Amino acid sequence: MRRTLLLGAVILTALLLQTTVFAELNLLGAKPELLYLVTIVFAILEGPASGAIAGFAGGMAQDFLLDAPKGITALTLTLLGYTMGMARQYIVTPSPILPVFLVAGGTCAGVVFHGVVSFLLGELDTSWLYLIRVAVLSALYNAILTPLVYPVLRRAAEGSRSRRVHRW
Amino acid sequence: MALRSRARSTRLLVVTLVSISLVTITLDYRQGDDGPLATLGEAALTVISPLQEAVSTVTHPIGNFFSTLLRLPSIRRENETLRDRVAVLEQEFATTVADLDRLAELEALLGLQASLGRRAETTAAQVIANGVSNFEWTITIDKGSGDGIAEDMPVIANAGLVGHVVRVGPSSSVIQLIIDPDSFVAGRLDASRATGLVSGEGGADLRMGLVESTVEVAPDEKVVTAGYRIPSGEQSLYPPNVLIGTVSRVLPEESALEPFVTVRPAVDFSTLDLVLVVLSSDGGA
Repeated sequence: MRRTLLLGAVILTALLLQTTVFAELNLLGAKPELLYLVTIVFAILEGPASGAIAGFAGGMAQDFLLDAPKGITALTLTLLGYTMGMARQYIVTPSPILPVFLVAGGTCAGVVFHGVVSFLLGELDTSWLYLIRVAVLSALYNAILTPLVYPVLRRAAEGSRSRRVHRW
Repeated sequence: MALRSRARSTRLLVVTLVSISLVTITLDYRQGDDGPLATLGEAALTVISPLQEAVSTVTHPIGNFFSTLLRLPSIRRENETLRDRVAVLEQEFATTVADLDRLAELEALLGLQASLGRRAETTAAQVIANGVSNFEWTITIDKGSGDGIAEDMPVIANAGLVGHVVRVGPSSSVIQLIIDPDSFVAGRLDASRATGLVSGEGGADLRMGLVESTVEVAPDEKVVTAGYRIPSGEQSLYPPNVLIGTVSRVLPEESALEPFVTVRPAVDFSTLDLVLVVLSSDGGA
C-alpha cells in the first residue's frame, strides 16, 4: 500500500514537474523525459516487475494528458521498465555511475521506440532526424538529472521496503 | 523454483500490461476524439491542470531563473549585437544630422550664388584646415587649380565675405581671411553709402577707416563690399554688395586722427565649413 502511494506520488510529481518547470527549462530545445527517468530508476532499484508496473502507470498517466493515441507511452514504458529491470540483474558492477548510463541508454532507446510505434500508427508528425535529436538530447538531460533523482528515489524505496520487511 | 515462478509471474505481469496498452492504443485509435478514452483523457486534464497551475505559480520564477542561466551566453551575445546596432544607428543618426546641416548650407550657398548674378561662376569647397600660424588667419579648402581656382579669387560663405585665395595647389588652396591683418577690403556702409578700407585685426573686430570723416555712422549698420579697391583705385577683387559685417563700435571723432569704426564680421570663422569660391563674376574683373 505504501509502495503504491509512493509510486503514485512520484509519478504525479514527475508529471507536474515535466509539464511546468521543465517545460521552460529547455536544453537545446529538448525537455527531459522525467517519466522515462522514474521508470528506469524504479526498475534498477526494484527489479523488472516493479519497473514494468511503474512504467505502465506512469505511461498511462502521461498518455491521458496527451492528444496522441493513448497507450503508446504506457506500452513503451512497460517494456522499458521490464527490460531495464532485467538488464540490471545481469550487470554486475560496483560502479556508482551505472544508473546514469542505464538512464541515458534506456531513455534514448525508449524515445526511439515510442517514435517507431507512433510512426506505425501514422502519428509521427516530425522527421526522423528530429526524433533522433530529441532522443539523444532527452537522454543527455535525463542522465544529468539522474544523480539528483536517483538518491531520493532510492531512499524512498528503501524506506518503504524496509518497513514492510520489519512487519513481515 | 521460487525464483522461476517469480520470473514467470513477472513475465505474465508484463504481458498483461503490454496487452492492456495495446488494447488501449487500438481502442483509442478506432474511436478517435469522441470515444470514452478521449473523455477520460479530458477528465485527467481537468484534474491535473489546477495542480499544474499551482506548481507553475510557485516554480515559474525558479524556472525562469534557470532558463535565463542556461540562455545566458545567447543573451549576452544578443546584448552585444544590440549594442553594436545601437552604435551603428547612433552614428547613422549623427551622419544624417550632419548631412542635413550640410544640405542647408549648400542650399544657402546656392541662393548666394544666384544673388551674385547669372553670369557668376562659382565652385563650392570644403574647409579642410585652419591656418598653421598664430599670426596668419587663413583656411585651406579642398579645391585647387584643378578646379579652376586661381589666386586672388574672392571667397564667400552664406553668411558673408570670407576672404580671397592667396595660394593655389593642384587640389587645395589657401584662403586669406578678411580678419588677417594683411587683408584689406573696400567696404561701404549700407545706409550712409560712405566707403572705407576694412582691414583685419586678427582675433579682434575688423577696423574700417573712413575716407570722409563727417559721416554719421549708426551702430549695427551693415557693411558691404564696395566694387573697387581703395588705395590704388584698381577694380576690387571682390564682387560688390557682399556682406562683410555690422558696425560694432563707433569711436568719437576727436579720439583719433583718422576716424574709424569697428566692424564685427558676419562670418563666424571658427565654424566655417563650406565656402563658395567665385571663379568669375560679371561685376568683377
